[in-house]
Amino acid sequence: MNGRSGVFKFFLFLFLGAIILLQVLSMIQADRLYEQLNSLIGRLESHDTSRPAWSAEKTIATTSPVHGEYPGDEGDWLVFVEIGEPRTLNPISVESSLESRDICSRNIIETLFYYDQDYDGVKLEPVLAESMEVSKDGLEITVKLKKDIWFSDGVPVTADDVVFTYETMMNPEIDAADIRNYYENVKQVVKIDDRTVKFIFKELYWKTIESIGLLDVLPRHIYRFSDPKQFNNRRSNPVGSGPYLFEKWEVGQQVVLRRNDNYWGKKPKIKKLVFKFITNSSAALQALRSHDIDTMEPSSEQFYELSKDEQFKKDFNMLLYWRPSFGYSYIGWNEAREFFKDRRVRLAMTCAVNRQAIVEYIQKGYGKIVTGTFYIYGKQNDPNIKPWPFDLEKAKQLLDEVGWIDHDGDGIRDRDGVPFEFKLSYPSGNETAERIIKMIKDDTAKIGVDVTPDPVEWSIFLERLNRRDFDAAFSAWGGTIESDPYQIFHSSQIQGRGNNYVGFNNAEADAIIEQARRALDPDKRYALYHRFDSILHEEQPYTFLITRPSYTLLDKRFENVKVHKLGIDSLEWYVPKDKQRYK
Amino acid sequence: MTTYIIRRLLLMVPTLLGTTIVVFAISRMAPGDPVSLSMGPGGMLDAQRAADVRQARMHLYGLDKPVHVQYAIWLGRVARLDFGDSIKHHRPVIDLIKERLPITLVLNLISFVIIYAVSIPMGILSAVGRKRFLDRAGSVMLLMLWSLPSMWVGQMLIGYLCGPPLNWFPPAGLSSNDAGQLPFFPWLADRLWHLVLPVFCLTYAGFAYLTKLVRAGMLDNLRADYVRTARAKGLSNWAVIFHHAFRNSVIPVITIMATLLPAMFGGSVIIERIFSISGMGLLAFEAVTTRDYNVVMGVATIAGFLNLLGLLMADLAYAMVDPRISFEAVE
Repeated sequence: MNGRSGVFKFFLFLFLGAIILLQVLSMIQADRLYEQLNSLIGRLESHDTSRPAWSAEKTIATTSPVHGEYPGDEGDWLVFVEIGEPRTLNPISVESSLESRDICSRNIIETLFYYDQDYDGVKLEPVLAESMEVSKDGLEITVKLKKDIWFSDGVPVTADDVVFTYETMMNPEIDAADIRNYYENVKQVVKIDDRTVKFIFKELYWKTIESIGLLDVLPRHIYRFSDPKQFNNRRSNPVGSGPYLFEKWEVGQQVVLRRNDNYWGKKPKIKKLVFKFITNSSAALQALRSHDIDTMEPSSEQFYELSKDEQFKKDFNMLLYWRPSFGYSYIGWNEAREFFKDRRVRLAMTCAVNRQAIVEYIQKGYGKIVTGTFYIYGKQNDPNIKPWPFDLEKAKQLLDEVGWIDHDGDGIRDRDGVPFEFKLSYPSGNETAERIIKMIKDDTAKIGVDVTPDPVEWSIFLERLNRRDFDAAFSAWGGTIESDPYQIFHSSQIQGRGNNYVGFNNAEADAIIEQARRALDPDKRYALYHRFDSILHEEQPYTFLITRPSYTLLDKRFENVKVHKLGIDSLEWYVPKDKQRYK
Repeated sequence: MTTYIIRRLLLMVPTLLGTTIVVFAISRMAPGDPVSLSMGPGGMLDAQRAADVRQARMHLYGLDKPVHVQYAIWLGRVARLDFGDSIKHHRPVIDLIKERLPITLVLNLISFVIIYAVSIPMGILSAVGRKRFLDRAGSVMLLMLWSLPSMWVGQMLIGYLCGPPLNWFPPAGLSSNDAGQLPFFPWLADRLWHLVLPVFCLTYAGFAYLTKLVRAGMLDNLRADYVRTARAKGLSNWAVIFHHAFRNSVIPVITIMATLLPAMFGGSVIIERIFSISGMGLLAFEAVTTRDYNVVMGVATIAGFLNLLGLLMADLAYAMVDPRISFEAVE
């Protein structure tokens, strides 16, 4: 073959490439037509069944909603941003992530009860349930469902659905290991009648009542399965009783929900909720600026920069508020290591960490030092405990007491010939962590302790914690309005792969944790947790670092935006008619 | 020729096998495993329970067996063209690839076409006007572009062009919010508008290499005796450049096109991350960081196969376009 045919083939390839491209385009077009047709058909069908099959006897519920509506004008969309794409929209699956919950819970899937947003403790407000009755010994609760409630397809919500959800979750072949844990303490769930379910517990534990309250209710007639694999593989098309319906999931791009016009309860005003997936946070901010998205949660630094931008503040609300889910960051000292066995050493380390500087320089002033494991504005936290001050002299003195003295004069303390040098591990790629740890390294150097920052890839980091193969570790816990410290501080969790990986072992703390688990009376519980808090403060298994407020940037066209004690609630929002952006 | 192809194809089997063994071994040797990763640090109320759940899930995914047994099982499945299920997504690996491949293909196809369409004329021009202004300026420009890191360029483009006051391009994603309601052509325009910046980031660094390749080839040929003869014959400048010099210097360019096959399949993690596009690059990257073994193996095997196929095609293309090379002679 000669050169001429080579060149000819080159252009032939180009030509063929162009044809393939056109073919692909026409295929996409056909797909889109098909999709649009499908969604049209879907909409028509859902219209047909929009009236419950049993509505003849209960017309009141559908024609004039007894539960009212949120105030404001109807219409418009609300476009959220998610940092990652959820793996599943199956609410009880183990793979269900923060993103899945953002999309599904309260919008599509409803629970029996939900937290009272304006109370700083656990106070359950009825959603699908009407009432909850706790037996005298606290081992049985009876939940009564509301009368006129139905799933989005019109089928009524009954006790069978509650029992079904519970049984599905507990089925060992269902991939729900995480959520199953919260219901381990439930012995039995009994259907009394169509509207009444009784939960019987193995032992007294206040958290179980909360878990029952937060039980998602899945429609049995839709999620029913003969083979557990069928349920496990159901990732999309969530169906529930909530105010929004699942419309579509465009892979890699977005999930769209539309308002459930047949909702049994208080109807929200926004017509569509869109959850766009944007992995790059500065791109998300630009998308917000150009009104591609309506709301996002910026980083502390972004928030700080934007707060100086007058133009931005004209178009967007900048909300700063506290909510429990943010949790706190900490450094855990591995008590299995000789260095950190003595509480005085751990205390010395805490005194050598300039937490106020972290708040000021790294968090730009937005943040608070935490002293314990509970949500700082919750009732479990003891507000009277003051954080240990940044005090290098005290740190030196404590180390001297324990016998860590610089014998050989090399600037690093030692004891029995062992220098005080250790690795501080943290998940790599976490910039904030890196800056905090550099500050810590500088300060501890002043007291003669040599810290080596040790960035570790997340999976390896977890593995090391689980195997207790670390000296000290920087990490963070997420929070809830009221938490049970059993999981991270009870001595039974030191064994195996439990979460007490620092090896905190304190008999009094153990006793308090156990006692508090059985205390149904909140005030009694809070008193116990305050005591527990002060033990943590004395013992310093962790150096508790900081927590920060939540920030939300929100397009100014949304109104009725309220900040509750537990955060913000998008179901309340609306857009006045003249400002609406989408049809 | 046919025997040569058959022999090469047969040789691909052990090579591919070796590749999979290496990838398999490396992925299993990396610390951590998908189960403890998905269980995270929290969420487990009781240590004993956590250990049980972990055990049950390791068993479910077959991760509790010895590594060589796992490999044998995997190989057996792949022989039946079944890449297994993703541990993270609970879905067949092949479905995930099918979902992500189209956008990666579109991006790569457009980028390659642009790179070739720009670089070849640029190469010819700078060879013809060697050491003159266009050649010098072009080289400097292209080398400058080549040395700009794409993650920085991407962020800058998003920062300056995507928000107010300019608002020229969308900062993320592949379509506008209301794209679903648009008719086909406005929809296509919207999609292309979203692709401008990612495509730019994928292409600008590629110009330099190809332009230099074409320029070097052209220079070699323009100095060759047959070109002087052609000029002496009184052929027009145009005919000399395109019929004689260009045709010979384009040979290496055509043959490197064969290596595009595997390149089409792989995405760019950086570009996909910056522009929030979920393509092959992010799929593979996330699979590695979450130890999603089946996806890692699936992507690696397919990429390895395409690579070998691309190499074979490159060799064949050499023989096709260059009459001096013949595989028959080897026999």
